[in-house]
Amino acid sequence: MLRDSAKADRWTSLVLFGLGAAMLVGGFTMDRLEIRQIHPASIPGLVPMILGGAMMLCAGLLFWSARRGAGSDAANLVSADYHPQASAPPADGSIKNLGFAAGYSVIYALGLVGEVPFWLATAIYIAVFYIHFSWKTGASATQRVLHMAGGVGFGLLGAVAVSTLFAEGFLVRLP
Amino acid sequence: METLAALGSAFGQFTTPQMLFHVVWATLLGIFVGSLPGLTATMGVALLTTLTYTLDPDAAILVLICMYVGAIYGGSRSAILLNIPGTPASAATALDGYPLAQAGRAGYAMALATAGSAIGTLVGIALLVLLAPPLAEAALRFGSFEFFWLAVFGIVISGQLTGGVSPLKGYIAGLLGLMVAMIGSEGIHAHIRFNFGIQELNGGIGLIPAMVGAFGFAEVLTVMWRRKANVIDKPAERDRILPKLADLWRYKITALRSGVIGTMVGIIPGVGEDIGAWASYAAARRTSKERASFGKGSLEGLTAAETGNSAVVPGALIPALTLAVPGSAPAAVLIAALFIHGIRPGPMIMIEQPDFIYSVAVMLIFATLAIAIFGLFLTRFFVLVLKVPREILMPLVFTLCVIGPYALTQRTFEIWVMVAFGLFGFVLRQMNYPMAPLVLGIILGALLDKSLRRGLTLSDGDLTPFFTRPISATFAIIIVLSIVLSLPAVRRAISRALDGLLRRHREGMSDG
Repeated sequence: MLRDSAKADRWTSLVLFGLGAAMLVGGFTMDRLEIRQIHPASIPGLVPMILGGAMMLCAGLLFWSARRGAGSDAANLVSADYHPQASAPPADGSIKNLGFAAGYSVIYALGLVGEVPFWLATAIYIAVFYIHFSWKTGASATQRVLHMAGGVGFGLLGAVAVSTLFAEGFLVRLP
Repeated sequence: METLAALGSAFGQFTTPQMLFHVVWATLLGIFVGSLPGLTATMGVALLTTLTYTLDPDAAILVLICMYVGAIYGGSRSAILLNIPGTPASAATALDGYPLAQAGRAGYAMALATAGSAIGTLVGIALLVLLAPPLAEAALRFGSFEFFWLAVFGIVISGQLTGGVSPLKGYIAGLLGLMVAMIGSEGIHAHIRFNFGIQELNGGIGLIPAMVGAFGFAEVLTVMWRRKANVIDKPAERDRILPKLADLWRYKITALRSGVIGTMVGIIPGVGEDIGAWASYAAARRTSKERASFGKGSLEGLTAAETGNSAVVPGALIPALTLAVPGSAPAAVLIAALFIHGIRPGPMIMIEQPDFIYSVAVMLIFATLAIAIFGLFLTRFFVLVLKVPREILMPLVFTLCVIGPYALTQRTFEIWVMVAFGLFGFVLRQMNYPMAPLVLGIILGALLDKSLRRGLTLSDGDLTPFFTRPISATFAIIIVLSIVLSLPAVRRAISRALDGLLRRHREGMSDG
């Protein structure tokens, strides 16, 4: 993963520059409400234009500092002595786990919720999430069946508990 | 005298079985949330906000404040036992807490952390009661020009202090937040901006869905990505679970200083508990006689870190209540919650609801008592809490992330916003962009936008009043100095000049 590196900063700076430019143009071309005879200094596009320009400037500085090879350290302000965790390299994790957690959660939130009853969507989500992340590769067939049954039970229990708590306890309407 | 009467009246109002019940469950839940790595105070407050819609305003704010105080304190548990801060606020706690746990003194480290947190919050509460009313009064003199600079000041300082090694990334995060705030109907002419033809964007991006995404979903992803940590769950048999009075007395100056530093850091917009803890820790280390033991299990270091982060909570509420500018990310959610419950934070609060500040002080006192009691007597229970497997906890947390934003408006669109901010927030975090300025940008965007355009309209397009009015000029000078001093070239030049001066001084001494 690129993460906090000079290369990542270079790519990010290009994206941010584009975003800033889009905001600047968007603010500049925004309706100036002349028909309502507003004060020219109060046009709705004024602040977006300023923000767009400021973002382009910051993106330029980020690109420049990344090109100098110093990456994030180029604009060092707070010393490691004061903010020690900032200098600690982040521990890498499993990309596979991340991909599954992100993809599956998005499918649940944007696909399942609203399409099937909330308790069912939630039960499926919790059960599959639990089974996937606690799956033991060397387990016997019986253990696997028991594990899956436990996951389904936990999913149902969790879904019913959450739905009941919100709908009945806090009087919240569920999706 | 008036202050004491107001505090007494607030005490009476909150000393009811129902309110005390709220204190108990909300603080316990807060400690639980803070204890678990991956569940932050901001996320806890944001999720709980969605559950308080049906409560009356006093009970709702009490619940949220107990969650906030409990979560910040709870972070010390995992910092001490796992060497992983439960919340970013407890990162400094881990430096000395974990070595103490490794040496079989986990129980005592937690007890000292509890005492430190309670002292820190109490110092902060005293300063809240003393400083908030005059600050609100001073803020009544603020006009559009001053509010514009206040918003810029918040973004710049927050970006600079939370950006860690790169203030530039803090500024960029702040700008991104301000850009998000430009979406939807603007506050002067009600013109719809950047809705891209999506009707749901006309009202702008809701703070709660954005926060739940950036602090909830992003945390779920971070936790599932990380490797599992090992709990030190065997405290030595003779380990104390009550702090020694002698230790508390020995570190009284450290605790008081850390309490004041933490509160002052809290007052600075959008900076937050982690900086409060680091600043207190650094100050304690500089002045300590036991400097060598810092980072190796120093009781003084642990006290400083915990007192510092807890004192930020009341500190962060000072600008939140008097200026509607949050001192930390959880305080930003609290501002949103206040508006939901019909309380308008800002300079008018001492006129419209003069007793509310004292009510908040009393809520904080109750929360402090609760963390002291639970922290000292439920130590073993909280060790068990840390053993809840992430594959059980995280799907439940994400389910809450889905329900919470939806409950606010009953629109599926809010779930989309939450997911988008979760993915976006995760990527930004991995690249070391701080979240606090982003949140502050979303909150302050409307204020900045309206104040600039209103100010320019009042001055007929003339920029001069932005620089000549006394308060505006002060803000402008501080902002410019902050930015200039954060430039690497300037910092190098200052460092060289100081080195030269020192060298000349030393040469002069040796010649003499």
